[in-house]
Amino acid sequence: MATDRRQFIHRSAQFGVLLGAGVPLLQACGSSDSGGDSKAVTDAIEDGLKPEGGPLRILNYADYVNPDTVASFEAQYGVKIEITTFDVDAEAVTKLANGSVEVDVFQSAAPNTLGRLIAGGLLQPLNASYIPNKANVLPTFDNPWYDEGSAYTVPYTVFSSGIGYRTDRIDPAKVEELGWEILWDPEYKGVTSILDDYREGLSMALLRQGITDVNTTDKALIEQAGADLGELTGLMNIKVNIEGYKDIPEGATTLAHTWSGDLLAGAYSYLPEGTDPSVLGWWYPSDDVGVVNNDCMTVTANAKNPVLGHLWINHLIDVANAEENFSWNGYLPPITGLDADYLIENEYAPENLRAAVLDDAIISKGLRFEPLDMETNQLWERTWSAFTAG
Amino acid sequence: MADATTAAVTGGDATAPGGHRSGTAFWAALASPGSLLLVALFVVPAYAILAVAFGGIDPILRTTVPAWNPLDWDLERFGDVVSRVFGGDLTRVFLRTGIFAGLALVGCFVIGYPVAYYVARKAGRNRGLLLGLLVLPFWISYLMRMLAWVNLLQTDGFINRILGWLHLGSGNRNWLDGDWPTVVFGLVYGYIPFFILPLYAALERLDGRLIEASRDLGASSASTFLRVTLPLSIPGLMAASVIILLPMCGDYYTNTYLTGGSPRTEMVGNQIEFFLRGSSQPQAGASLVIILMAFLTIAMAYYLASVARSQRESAS
Repeated sequence: MATDRRQFIHRSAQFGVLLGAGVPLLQACGSSDSGGDSKAVTDAIEDGLKPEGGPLRILNYADYVNPDTVASFEAQYGVKIEITTFDVDAEAVTKLANGSVEVDVFQSAAPNTLGRLIAGGLLQPLNASYIPNKANVLPTFDNPWYDEGSAYTVPYTVFSSGIGYRTDRIDPAKVEELGWEILWDPEYKGVTSILDDYREGLSMALLRQGITDVNTTDKALIEQAGADLGELTGLMNIKVNIEGYKDIPEGATTLAHTWSGDLLAGAYSYLPEGTDPSVLGWWYPSDDVGVVNNDCMTVTANAKNPVLGHLWINHLIDVANAEENFSWNGYLPPITGLDADYLIENEYAPENLRAAVLDDAIISKGLRFEPLDMETNQLWERTWSAFTAG
Repeated sequence: MADATTAAVTGGDATAPGGHRSGTAFWAALASPGSLLLVALFVVPAYAILAVAFGGIDPILRTTVPAWNPLDWDLERFGDVVSRVFGGDLTRVFLRTGIFAGLALVGCFVIGYPVAYYVARKAGRNRGLLLGLLVLPFWISYLMRMLAWVNLLQTDGFINRILGWLHLGSGNRNWLDGDWPTVVFGLVYGYIPFFILPLYAALERLDGRLIEASRDLGASSASTFLRVTLPLSIPGLMAASVIILLPMCGDYYTNTYLTGGSPRTEMVGNQIEFFLRGSSQPQAGASLVIILMAFLTIAMAYYLASVARSQRESAS
């Protein structure tokens, strides 16, 4: 039943040919991403269709879209929006694949799984005529590495992985000097956390060692990264979670490997009353060589409301709506004009978190999590499992 | 009495054999919805776990492809997980889970037995009120109660403030620091109502005349408790223990909430969750479920054997 290496290579080659013929995701999936026959949907909906009656069903992370932005869409089109949530990307893929959820829009797809979703026939190409606001998206995303020609996706948010910390407990100069190494500083034992995500966690350990290949297939490097993380268990009494957005502002955590959006969200939503946002600090590698990721909006292949789905995507990348949405969830929409100067001037972000607002330089230089072949991916997962086993 | 019961069970009622058979059919028919439910909610899911554990992975979507036909089962992945559990990096997770559950069981016994005994034997007219208080926690979801404890146990939370006022400790202890006592405490707190209620039922049914006989024959209160009450309550204790041990061994949210996800308190349930929900190898998660079930089946078998032995002793 298991796929052996020969079958795997054969299927990968088939898959690559199919993609090359019609599906613009060859680069994303590569010859090693997957095996099996592609069922990719290649036809988008026709132009000029009327919006369906809804309800519009969305698959999204919890608390990842502003309820006011939802309400304004509902009012404009006279439909209801129903949101189904998931916790981790693999869970979303499973739910879509086995049909346990039927949604119109998958609002936060990870770029490194998009290739599989498309090849699995779970997404449909977008019809750009319904998404005129696409012109608002940063030019960097015109032809993203994971979706040639933006055929299937529109970026929803963009964020980097770095260190969030409390400036009232740690000298920013020290964080600047030590970088990733500070997560191994026992002075902060018991008040430090890292992201509960196997790609993020192991990549952080690789970057600490100066290895920038965050998609490595080298077993020795992966296992060394796992061993390095293992040190954190005893040395730091490390916590592994995705609670940085509230734990840092609330003071339960002093130092956290976390996402830039968490700090921006925490600055105004989770700081105790009377606490100045300047207590929050953000570190990202000064040479801009760190992990940058983005979530993507897509319409599912079996959407019952595909037109509404397109309109919803268009709604979210309207500049005013994107600004409103950001003010609530803290995750930066890659929209022209919503840059650090604008967000700070309008008090959406404090000056001390300027670096957490990604600019073109950071986005273009950022390291991306690319799809891993099955064998390598399982090695990453197993290494992570051994680390979290304590 | 025993003879009469035996006669009834074995169909010894010579006056109406046909009526007895129809009665048996009637009772069997009454049990059929429950039996169907058991098949639907236990047998089928259990087989599904086997099919996933010994199945494959969709090469494109990396989702599970269950192998429903046992002839298609692939044992390689299961063998890999077994080797990790027995002598590999998952050994400590299983040991830790067993120790946490065992300590929590002891905690439930130490706290829960006196409570159950008091409510069952000594509460008098207050019994109804106390029972109501015992089921009160069920009105609030388990997760909500754990989240409440996260707030209470924070460094600046009420627990430290109270300890500070009482001059016990430094008053700034980090209870959520990934230490095992917090997890064991959480398990005791979360599961103790499930322990007390079946134990209460067993103690409440206990024949008071046996206790009186023991006292009449000169045994002290302590001796009566140790030689009469406690042995007679063992079936109830076993039932209560099994009821809480099984879910405790699969628990993954108590330690996650109360330690912020510390690897030092990782339990089997956390690994199962990771592999089944967040990985491309759900077979590993299903394999862990099977191994955990095998361990728990041993405990269950011991419980069933104890109950059978107890029933035989009662009958004789």
